[in-house]
This record gives sequence, structure tokens and C-alpha cells, in this order.
Amino acid sequence: MSTGTGTGTVTRALFVNEARLMSRTPAAIIFPVLFPVIGAIVIAAIPAARQPLEPFGGFSVAQTYIPVLVIFALTSLALTVMPQIVGSYRELGVLKRLRTTPASPGALLTAVVGLMAAVSTVVTLIMVLVPAALGVGLPGNTAVFALMTVLSMLAFLALGAMLAAVIPSSRVASGIGSAVSVVMWFFAGLWFPRAQFPDWLLVIADLTPGGAAARGMLDATLGAAVGWQPIAVLVGWTLLGVAVAVRTFRWE
Amino acid sequence: MAIIDVDGLRKSYGPREVLHGIDLSVEENEIFGILGPNGSGKTTTVETIGGLRTRDAGTVVVAGMDPADNPPRLREVLGMQLQQCQLPGRITVVEAMRLFASFYGAPLAVDELIARFGLAAQARTRFEKLSGGQQQRLSVALALVGNPRIAILDETTTGLDPQARRDIWEYLAALRRDGTTILLVTHYMEEAQYLCDRVAIIDDGVVVALGTPAALAGSRGEQETSFLPSRAVAAEVLRALPGVRAVRVENGRVVVSGDGTSTQTVLAKLIELGVTAQDLRVTSPTLDSAYLSFTDDGPTPAGTEE
Repeated sequence: MSTGTGTGTVTRALFVNEARLMSRTPAAIIFPVLFPVIGAIVIAAIPAARQPLEPFGGFSVAQTYIPVLVIFALTSLALTVMPQIVGSYRELGVLKRLRTTPASPGALLTAVVGLMAAVSTVVTLIMVLVPAALGVGLPGNTAVFALMTVLSMLAFLALGAMLAAVIPSSRVASGIGSAVSVVMWFFAGLWFPRAQFPDWLLVIADLTPGGAAARGMLDATLGAAVGWQPIAVLVGWTLLGVAVAVRTFRWE
Repeated sequence: MAIIDVDGLRKSYGPREVLHGIDLSVEENEIFGILGPNGSGKTTTVETIGGLRTRDAGTVVVAGMDPADNPPRLREVLGMQLQQCQLPGRITVVEAMRLFASFYGAPLAVDELIARFGLAAQARTRFEKLSGGQQQRLSVALALVGNPRIAILDETTTGLDPQARRDIWEYLAALRRDGTTILLVTHYMEEAQYLCDRVAIIDDGVVVALGTPAALAGSRGEQETSFLPSRAVAAEVLRALPGVRAVRVENGRVVVSGDGTSTQTVLAKLIELGVTAQDLRVTSPTLDSAYLSFTDDGPTPAGTEE
């Protein structure tokens, strides 16, 4: 019926456009991306950080912190950068404008989420492969580590989408996203290694997306079997975020 | 057959009803103007026609489709330029045009459209660096890049300098010659008079007048007849004449305002009185005064900005 261009073509054009606009705003992603990447490489470059340590439950400092830094990058992009972009598009009227064209604003949201996922993937690969080459080694179970990374990314993106949907102001959404990120980092063990968490705190932490992400990635790093709980927790948060976002999102 | 047909359109925001039953129809290949004070419901009307807002009652048919169903085909045939819609600051003119062109099956040539809207020199300028007028022209060009059959333009020339406004008028007139139907919301009577085949005046959510600009001006517009009388004439005498609405004296000039027949009536009376009308001037009725008479009925509540 329609003579218009296909949804795939339109989404791709919007994705390329978003990538170009992001490359013109490097400051927006330097903190969420550059800081953890440098952190991961520096830690991996220090020989002592590659030795297994008792306080870290037999992991080395590098093994413990690389997943945490990956979570740092994923949460920053999904919970701070993405709500800022989506919220500003709503405030500028870009989403409303797109509703007047054959391209749905949903295609723009898909492009933004897709770009965040692409940047997250590239950053994660750098943060795992460069330290691996420096002697930290690959995660014991690479496939499971990759799976946990993808599930974590989806959970954080869903929560970011929920923030962008529920909170009308881009600044407030992005600010709350930053605060949520800090909590995620805590449960992931950025401030204290999770091996030092008391049992009751571990139980709570493992029910949060940050804690579940760290748990799954650390188990995969060690090569231990990953239980169903972190997977179920991440999928659960993803479904919750998507459901709330879809129900509450406003185009203007 | 009308390409846009609106019948009994009602819309409320919360408890406040802003459209109390709008009826209008736009014929194919005409430029139809919507005039009205701020807050009268113009934007709500066109955004409902464009399918961006839901209606509470009435029917709307655009090119045979109901915009409430958001049919994909509608987006191909209808281009819209909205108030207060911006683009990301760092996108350039040519990038925005190419991006929007990529949404449509048969878009216009981007470079030609950029040149047509006088943006060739700014093709690689970022949106945030454009002047207000340039942003506005880009916004109109984006609404037209899909080569739509119908274009809805909301206050397209607001904030433009007179030359830029003229350029857009010429372009819109050319579009009509090519067969495009244009629904134009405007504040400028001059624009409506110059461009529109028909206009609807909306006040407080209802259509208070509809017709050609000339007919509306003639029906309610004031024709002013002014002259220097060779000797004093009592204002009451002239005011009593049929078709005369007001008489005033400014620096010795008698100014009579009334309908289209008032000039002849006044001159006939002067001849009868043996008074010569020197330096006689007659101004034709304007849409401006008709507009004011249609929208000034009763006191307007303060602070009814859209």
C-alpha cells in the first residue's frame, strides 16, 4: 500500500544521523566511556592488580573491577546519556515533528537505543579484550560473560527508557539516572568489593540490576556456573522497564 | 470533492472545551487560511486535522482518511509544519533535508528545495547557528520535502522579515499552481488577503466567518470616506444615512466609515446639501477591519495565550 521507504531503511538513516550527532558532542560520552576504559586498562597494566587476593574472594583486583567498570559504562550510557537525549528531543519537539512524517518517532527511539547498545558493545569489548591482552586473561566462561553483559545492557537500557518516559524533564531524568547509576555501582561493588558485603546486603544487592549484573559477570569471569537468579533478576527488570516505558511514554 | 472535511469537531482539554463544533471544508488545490486570536483554537484545529491530537466529537476526513486512525498513507500525502518544533542543534541544513527526504517514497530534490528557500549558503550550517528566519524556512522546507498533496502550515511566516515572507508567499503560490492544497494558519491579514482563496475566522472555538477574503472584507469591513467639506456638515446628518456606521472629524476632515455602499450615499447627501467634498479619499474595506469586527464581539478575557 505505502509507497514510502521501509521501517528498516528509515531506522538506519536515523541511526546514522544519531551517530553523527553524537560524534559532534564528544563531551557527552567522554565521562561515561573514557573514564571506565582508561580505568580498566590502567588496572590491567599493574602487575600486582593481576594477582588473586583473599579479600576479593580469590579474584585479582583486575578481575573484580573490570566487570564493575563495564557496569559503570553501561549504566552511564543507559541511565544518564540516553534519558538526556530522548528528553531533549521531546522538549525540542523533534518527536512531535517526526509524528507528522512517515517515520514514526518510535523509529527514532529505536535508533537512539540502538546507538547506545552499539557504543556499549564496543566499549565492553575494549574493556575486556585490552586487559586480556595485557595478561588479565579472558573471562573463564566467555560466552556466559557475553550473555550476562547483553542482559545487563538490556536491563539498564529498559530502566533508562522508563526514566525517560516517566520524567518529563530531560535534566531531571538524566540527574535521577545518575543517582540510580551510583546505587548500581554500589551494589556492583565499585566502592567495596562484593566479597566483603555482609550476607544480608548480598541478598539485597543480588535483587538489583547492578548487583545481578556484577554477580553474573564475576561468576562468568571465574568460570563458575552462573545461577538462574541473576538472569531472572535482569530479565525481570528489563520487562518491568519496558512495560512502564511503553505505557507512560509521551511524545510531547 | 473536499480534500479536507471537518464536521462538528469538538475538543476539550480537561474540563475546558476549546473547540465547540468546528465545521469547515478545504477544496483540492486551494490555499485555505485559518485566522483567529491567540487561544482561539487554531492550532488545536489543525493539529487534530493532522492526526496529532484526538478529537472528542465530530468527523474529520483528510484525503479520504480519518487522521485519528493514523493511517501510514496519510503521512505520505500530508506535510506539516508545526509551531515550536525544533531540530537537534548540531544537525546541518542539508543533513536534515536528506534525513527527512529519506522518509518518503518520492521526495523532492533536496538541493533545489534548499535553494528555493534561500538556504543554499547555509546548507552546511548547523541548525543552532541559523537565524530564526532561516530555521523557520528550513522548517517549511522539511514539511514540503515529501512532495505532499496537502500541506498544513502553522504560523509559517511569523518572525520573518518582509522579504523572506514575500519569498515564502511566492513559493506557496507556486505550489498551489502545481496542485498542492495548503491549509495555512496565520496572524497576518495581508498574508491571508494575498495568498488565500478562502479563509475561516475562528474565535473561541467556533468558526465565526468563512468565505473569500474579499467577501469577508466587504461584509464586515469598513469602507472609509474622508473629505474636506466646503462648509460644516452636522455629523448627525451623515450618521443617519443608511450604511454609515460612524462619523468623526479629524483636523477638519470628515471621516465616514460604513459598508461598501456608504460612499455613494454620503456623496449624494452632500450634493443635496450643496456641500462640495474636497480632497476626497476612499479606502477599500480591508480584511483587517472585518477580522476585528468578527473577533471583537464582547470583551475578550485577558491572558488567553495559546
